[in-house]
Amino acid sequence: MQRQARWLLAIVIALFLAPAQAHHGWTGGETIEIEGSITQVRLGNPHGEVELDVDGETWTVEVGQPWRNERAGLAEGDLAEGVELRVSGERAGERRLKAEQLWIDGDHYVLYPGRI
Amino acid sequence: MTTLLAWLGENALAEWMRLSRWGYAAVNALHVLGVSLLLGAIVSLDLRLLGWRRQLPLQTLARLLQPVAIGGLVLAMAAGTLLFLADPTGYAGMTLFRLKLGLIGLAVANALLLNLGPGLAAATPRRLRLAGLLSLLLWPATLLAGRFLAFLDA
Repeated sequence: MQRQARWLLAIVIALFLAPAQAHHGWTGGETIEIEGSITQVRLGNPHGEVELDVDGETWTVEVGQPWRNERAGLAEGDLAEGVELRVSGERAGERRLKAEQLWIDGDHYVLYPGRI
Repeated sequence: MTTLLAWLGENALAEWMRLSRWGYAAVNALHVLGVSLLLGAIVSLDLRLLGWRRQLPLQTLARLLQPVAIGGLVLAMAAGTLLFLADPTGYAGMTLFRLKLGLIGLAVANALLLNLGPGLAAATPRRLRLAGLLSLLLWPATLLAGRFLAFLDA
């Protein structure tokens, strides 16, 4: 019994020591900025996705959940097909970006104030 | 199929799941609660089926653990359906999501085949070990597939 209790304690300690696994998405990729025209939008939980045409290449931009986009000041219709978008964030794949801040028509919207 | 998925995402409930902050978070928590009840109970029972703690009577143990596992499965499926409604087309298009549904189907079939077939009391030790082993592989695999939906875009 004592031996089992010691194992259990060791496992619990190991779990707490394991580096706090980054929240999904933040994987330590480089911060980049892209600009293009929105071709497709899906907003909503668990987070929104915007397809962006960047010089003929299609990028997927992950934006926030509804409350985060709203907190950043984005109103309904701001992220819509045809809108010119400049976005900066963490690269999360070949052509995938997790947005931290973005600009539409010169207006600045910050999704993750703690990361910029 | 495409129309059905689009329709699933269009009603008021789906819209609430898409837009609500704390509602979505609460449903998410209920899904995790269901999964933990299911896995905690079923893995315990599987270990007994494989021969661990053989001195504990199987029937008695099953009378406690099977209802907990079934309750957890029902809760996980109900909350999971709501989570699915937030983006039916997206989830349905993910290979990993389909794999997860397939694994759930196999795991449930494994449990039903044992309980509705010979039953725990009449099954041979070999049959019990086989069902326990399959269950012990399938349910954790289901959990992994589900968790990794958030980390992969496949």
